[in-house]
Amino acid sequence: MTDALRRIRLWDLPVRLVHWSFAALLPALWWTAESGKIDLHKTLGLTMLGLVFFRILWGFYGSSTARFANFVKGPETVLGYVRSLRENKKLTVIGHNPLGGWSVVLLLGLLGFQATIGLFTIDEDGLESGPLNYLVSFDTSDLLREAHGLVFNVILATLTVHLAAIAYYSVIKKDRLVPPMISGSRDIPASLPAPRIAPLWQAIPAILLAAAFAYWLGMGAPTSLTQNTAASSEAYN
Amino acid sequence: MKRNQFVLAVALISVTSLSTTASAGSPSTAISARESNFKAIGKAFKVIRDQTGTPAPNFAAIRASANTIAALAPKVGSTFPKGSGPESGTKTHALAVIWEKPQEFNAALAKLVNGSRAMQAAAASGAIDQVKATIPVLGGACKGCHDQFKARD
Repeated sequence: MTDALRRIRLWDLPVRLVHWSFAALLPALWWTAESGKIDLHKTLGLTMLGLVFFRILWGFYGSSTARFANFVKGPETVLGYVRSLRENKKLTVIGHNPLGGWSVVLLLGLLGFQATIGLFTIDEDGLESGPLNYLVSFDTSDLLREAHGLVFNVILATLTVHLAAIAYYSVIKKDRLVPPMISGSRDIPASLPAPRIAPLWQAIPAILLAAAFAYWLGMGAPTSLTQNTAASSEAYN
Repeated sequence: MKRNQFVLAVALISVTSLSTTASAGSPSTAISARESNFKAIGKAFKVIRDQTGTPAPNFAAIRASANTIAALAPKVGSTFPKGSGPESGTKTHALAVIWEKPQEFNAALAKLVNGSRAMQAAAASGAIDQVKATIPVLGGACKGCHDQFKARD
């Protein structure tokens, strides 16, 4: 293979911003929960939920490397890819590979799930609660608080695998995944097609929708303008 | 042989006496009574909190819950008999420091009782703002005690 390399745009700005926001939000969420800064924890959690929601929308109409349809593959393709990892093949996948695609789905799902549980939880002192806690019973919120702690551990385990995979590609496959996730660009064989990068303005509707959705949840998901659950739940803080 | 028999007898007696104490005021019974008392308080407190979030709070529910809390709060102290701590071997979040620092623990209990009375008064007043203002007082009493005397999950 004497394929010449060319530099292409691999990840668009929204994908990278969302990714690194997750990376920054996770430790911040952990720390605010540990130190009892629940107001900030709630704001960050809603931000997380909004970002997950945006990323899901962008996965349907964003750049080609952002779209689920392009990287979520069936089991046969995934197994075939895993087998091909043992052989020393050159890069043929542009964007998420068939295995990594599922890790995107898994991580997005876990983060969204965790943030959603958080909406319904309550602390054991009855001082702080998620904006939707009023919708569930005391026992349910008790259970969800425990689940919130458990799912965090699942997220940590998944993150460990995520980081191990990055190390594996870097050390064994000599494929450094982090620089393109920062710069957005990487070199690919000239014979491979370049991804189609969506213009930034295209993200605006998804950003607005996701922000409005997160804000609405933060207000306690009111169904009318007079219902002000969040306004009064602010009073506890 | 005689010595062995003696040892066996002592062992038997101690095992029987251990099991009788376990059945009489067993730590696990004490712990579950304690937890259900706390849960009943938490449940009632949630009713009050939820009501303050609605456009038209149900004061009958708030009053009933405040009365429940005020009735249960003074019982909390008695749900911590000696031997129902972590040394009991039964799963509990109660820390040994409860029995090591009874004065501090009693002071924390007094705060809960006072908070429950304040909530009862607020509920009786019929002013939702007063109920809202008392939530941190009562919740603060829960938190103050939990921070010091309860193991984190």
